[in-house]
Amino acid sequence: MHFAVLKMAAEETNSKLEALLAKNLSLFQTISQQLDLLININEKILETQKEFLQGVSRRPDNGIPPDTLSLLTLPLSLRKTVMVLYKLQKATAEGISEETKRLRGVESAAANQLVRMGYLKKTRQGRKVYFYIESPVEMKK
Amino acid sequence: MKAKAISIHSSRGGTGKTVIATNLAMIMAGKGMKVALLDLDFRAPSLSMVFSKAIESPVRFWLNDFLNGECTEKQVMIDVSKIYSLEGKLLIGLSNPSIEAIRNIMGKSSSWEVTAVKKLFSLLSSLFNDMKVDCCLLDTSPGVQYSSINSAVSSDLTVVVTTLDSLDLKGSENMLLDLYDALERRSVVLVNKYSPESRVLKGKRSESVASSVEGILKHPVIGMIPCFCDVLQRERASIMAIEDPKHPFVKSLEEVAEKLDHLLSI
Repeated sequence: MHFAVLKMAAEETNSKLEALLAKNLSLFQTISQQLDLLININEKILETQKEFLQGVSRRPDNGIPPDTLSLLTLPLSLRKTVMVLYKLQKATAEGISEETKRLRGVESAAANQLVRMGYLKKTRQGRKVYFYIESPVEMKK
Repeated sequence: MKAKAISIHSSRGGTGKTVIATNLAMIMAGKGMKVALLDLDFRAPSLSMVFSKAIESPVRFWLNDFLNGECTEKQVMIDVSKIYSLEGKLLIGLSNPSIEAIRNIMGKSSSWEVTAVKKLFSLLSSLFNDMKVDCCLLDTSPGVQYSSINSAVSSDLTVVVTTLDSLDLKGSENMLLDLYDALERRSVVLVNKYSPESRVLKGKRSESVASSVEGILKHPVIGMIPCFCDVLQRERASIMAIEDPKHPFVKSLEEVAEKLDHLLSI
């Protein structure tokens, strides 16, 4: 009688363990699927970043500022900043943002990106940083 | 009208850009406005011929010289208002028609063009702020060339002149989409040499033709200028707004000028 109770208890524990293992297995399978999904997303993000960087780094020559035709090869977000600087000649990120109606931070990021690409130059005057397109041709006075 | 720059452009030559730009400038100045007209067609300059009778002494400075930094904004502009007895004022900036000057401009690098567009902005700023010009018309070269793109970039509005010829329409469609929309420039279409007998649109009323063109080009049509044989037969250097101000061609352009005024005051 005592043995039978023990056997029943053992069988019950076994079946509970099996159920738990099955649940864990299913959980691991879900985690594995989610990880695959994350890996795919990351790969896509990397591809997009690569394409973007290839696009923005295209320019006629190293350090040559953008002429109006090469503007078309720039992403729209950067193109706007350059076009405003043609007009203003020299401006702070705040000055640019007043023209484009975009946030100062957005303009600052765009202008600094253009500086890294060699399209713009920047100079500090006191606490203010001014961005400008350098004239490659020396003008006669 | 708030001081504005209007670029007159087309995808191909022979659409009537220069005739339209010259007559619009004359019409606006005739109504008392202070207008500037710039010849930015450096490869095929024509305004020096159009205004040859008005310019007594040899031109001292051309726009080419200005872009090369050889003269100031004020030195390059020529006042022709008195010669035409205009109520307002007309200042013109001419492009050098000599072969040497054209060859020189053709050899310019893309780096020079960067300086050129900055100089163009500075000229417009001087025209509006120092010379108190109300409106500046920029007559450009056809198609996609540096001078026309520089002009489009520095203007508040571009008028794309087209005929109903399918090549013209296709060229304008591509230019509006790939250039003006890409650069987010405000642009409108002006149909010139419109003939109700046109093979493509025969029998349609001008309003329905305009909406068909708007459908194709996806930009507003601000005018349909009919084709007048007597205008075509005249010298291209003749200025209709001065020689025959009551001509229907001039009347059509007066309506265009009013629409431009309205568009730019919004």
